[in-house]
Amino acid sequence: MRTALILLVAIALSACALHGPLPGTSAAGTAVPAGPQPPTVAPEHPATPPGRPAQMGPAASALLAQAHAQANAGEYVAAGATLERALRIEPDTPLLWVELGRVQLAQGNAAQADAMGRKALALASGDGEAQAAAWTLIAGSLRARGNTAEAVEAERRAAALTAH
Amino acid sequence: MLYLGVSVTRTFEGRRWTLPAQVYAAPLELYAGLALTPADLAHELERLHYRRVTQLERPGTYRVNGERIDVALRPARFADETRDAQLLSIYAGAGAIVSLKDAAGHDVPVIRLEPLLIGSIFPSHGEDRIVLTPQEVPPLLPAALKAVEDRRFDSHRGVDPQAILRALWVDARAGQIEQGGSTLTQQLVRSYFLSSRQTLGRKLREAVMAVALDAHFTKDDLMNAYINEIFLGQDGNRAIHGFGLASQFYFGKPLGELDLPEIALLVAVVRGPSYYDPRRHADRVLARRNLVLKELAEQHVVSEADAADAARAPLGVTPRPAGAYYPAYLDFVRRTLRRDYHDEDLTQAGLAIHTSLEPRAQDAAERSLERELARLDHLKKHGGEGLEGAVVVTTPQSGDVIAIVGGRDVGYDGFDRALDARRAMGSLVKPFIYLTALESGRYNAATIVQDQPVDLKLAGGKHWRPENFSRDVNGPVPVVRALAESLNLATVGVGLDLGLPKVAETLARFGLDPPPEQLPAMLLGAVNVTPLEAAQLYNGLANGGFRNPLRAVRAVIGAGGKAVKAFPVQVTQVATPEAVYQLDRLLVEVMDRGTGRAAHAILPAQLVVGGKSGTSSEYRDSWFAGFSGSDLTVVWVGYDDNAPTGFTGSAGALPVWAHIMADLGGSSWSAPRPEGVVDMDIEYGTGLRVLPGCSDDRVTLAMPAGAQVPGKPGCGFSDTASPLSTFLERSERWVHALVH
Repeated sequence: MRTALILLVAIALSACALHGPLPGTSAAGTAVPAGPQPPTVAPEHPATPPGRPAQMGPAASALLAQAHAQANAGEYVAAGATLERALRIEPDTPLLWVELGRVQLAQGNAAQADAMGRKALALASGDGEAQAAAWTLIAGSLRARGNTAEAVEAERRAAALTAH
Repeated sequence: MLYLGVSVTRTFEGRRWTLPAQVYAAPLELYAGLALTPADLAHELERLHYRRVTQLERPGTYRVNGERIDVALRPARFADETRDAQLLSIYAGAGAIVSLKDAAGHDVPVIRLEPLLIGSIFPSHGEDRIVLTPQEVPPLLPAALKAVEDRRFDSHRGVDPQAILRALWVDARAGQIEQGGSTLTQQLVRSYFLSSRQTLGRKLREAVMAVALDAHFTKDDLMNAYINEIFLGQDGNRAIHGFGLASQFYFGKPLGELDLPEIALLVAVVRGPSYYDPRRHADRVLARRNLVLKELAEQHVVSEADAADAARAPLGVTPRPAGAYYPAYLDFVRRTLRRDYHDEDLTQAGLAIHTSLEPRAQDAAERSLERELARLDHLKKHGGEGLEGAVVVTTPQSGDVIAIVGGRDVGYDGFDRALDARRAMGSLVKPFIYLTALESGRYNAATIVQDQPVDLKLAGGKHWRPENFSRDVNGPVPVVRALAESLNLATVGVGLDLGLPKVAETLARFGLDPPPEQLPAMLLGAVNVTPLEAAQLYNGLANGGFRNPLRAVRAVIGAGGKAVKAFPVQVTQVATPEAVYQLDRLLVEVMDRGTGRAAHAILPAQLVVGGKSGTSSEYRDSWFAGFSGSDLTVVWVGYDDNAPTGFTGSAGALPVWAHIMADLGGSSWSAPRPEGVVDMDIEYGTGLRVLPGCSDDRVTLAMPAGAQVPGKPGCGFSDTASPLSTFLERSERWVHALVH
């Protein structure tokens, strides 16, 4: 199915080349000129640069496990410190930010939990699972602040991402 | 006299040494994949004064066996836990750690070296010390002190008439009063209760008090008090008290790890820390140390053979006190803590302060600043005065400040330029103007802006007529070029279009406090900031639009080992990821095409960095602020008297910055591209959309999805939307959504 779609687009793009050169649009304007939309070419760079670790490394994983144990024992400050150690090793791993946000939420710091959820979202571009976890955290933070309507919306987003 | 005896005993009973807070650097985390060579590792162990040996002995030693390093780790107290001494084997390949194993051969996923002690916060009278329990004192030390200073310590009653008589005989021959003849108890009394002025009346009081103490306390108590109290050196306005601190001060390691010649040296210093200063009078101290060793052998404290061996050892004193003296960083730590603590808590309560300082980053920053300023001085001389500079390095994601240099004399504990030099930020302000523009939705990287003369009539009838640095006027240019080449006129045009309040508000969001005065000159950086404040502003850009309060202190631990206060990571979203991503990509273009491009000759090939130069009017301030994926560095270069330097940001601060970033060995900037932002090929000079192969001036920029950019003639773009192109665009989005 996916292959077929890519094929379809590939054919379509080659058709674009046949679309033929036409005299250019007006050159200099002070702002974006309104008007018809030129065809969009496929992005040259992948959305996520290669080399970004999809999986957490053993060091961060071990620290995450330790943080879970500390959080389960109610030692939230220690759990936060352990997660910060993990984040120093892997600062771009969205799930670690989600975990840090959960620790904040457990300590009653809903605003920080929300901000960390959004930090995770910003890092989770293209990673549905991490996005779902971030939205779940944000929903929890909204609920904790009595913002039920927005919480429901955030939960819906999380569910949609999980269903995928 | 009786009263004197009672009062001294009471005071001594209730004694509390003022325990200055001990300040620690961030511990080095070791894990497989960490980019450290065996040589780097050895260097880090040496920094903590681990001794290289052929056979592992006690904690504090290590052994190198090819690519394997065995370490006998010391017990360590971290902010969040304590760890016992243990054995660790590190397998390090050419460029990185391959694996870590414990004594049983099991894999260790991650482990920390103990944090480096980087200083203490001592009270204004200057007494600094590390207090030791009797168990922490090697038995050789009290034995040696008795042998050399007070042979009858165990039997006399506080004063030793025999010793006094002998000392008087020696004094009479020398014709002056010298120290000597005093028991350890008398020395303790003198140090603890009295000033050092020696008069006969004072000597009498000292003797009475010593007898009183001796009657009330055990010899062990008095010995331990002596070991913690006695004065052993001076470091500027800081007085080194006690053998615990003296061991760190002279040898950089705990007292428990000192060997015979080192202990003998400290015992030699007791007699006169200034006269026998091992760093200034090495020959004199060597002679006295060997005299001490001879005495120890004669009194059978050590064997003749051991004493003879020890007498052949070098002094072994570190060249600089403790080898880790970062006054500018400590200054920031002190200021951070003064918000929450009284001076007495810091100087007396025995707190342990765990900071974010990374000695490797600090070393890189100091080294680069010293070297590059010397080179720049050579290029231009200004009335005999040298250029000054300051550096702040942070970890953007956490806001940790990992290095601060307050001036080129890095060991000087004085004017801290990183925190106190408030200077015009110049073009460092421009990214915040363009971020405001991107956020408005009316601008993108390819938008054409006008680089044309500006003439503003100000209140009071004066005119403001800014110019470009080159004095040229470039006409219509795309945003990417206006920022990369730091064009003043184009930027002023954009700023005025957005409105001064909008731009000021962006700066305030990113942490500028108080917000800048809303004058047009603000758009060219007539906003005074310290290097630390500039780092706060740019940290938000390097962290995807999230602001973290810059953090030097991670935790404060009480004397009992319990956390008193934690300063956890905090983030606040202050801009959309989409706008900041687009801006950061423009800052990468600054490095690739604009005023930052000279850095690539110094940086490792392929390292992606973003940054911005800043030059204030008449070249008074030369700035560079920029980031990789792992570090943000801000550099300021200028003269203390605010004289023109003749250097732009690119000529002065940029090479310093590039050398620091190269030494830090960080990762490439690689923030994930937000959904809603696409890559688009644009012609740098014209802002027209191009395809690969139809322009030799092509840059790939981050643009809002659906941005409408005129195509370059001849590149094959249509200016009319056909049903086909609309369909194609939709299907592409659809596929994109499915694939991700």
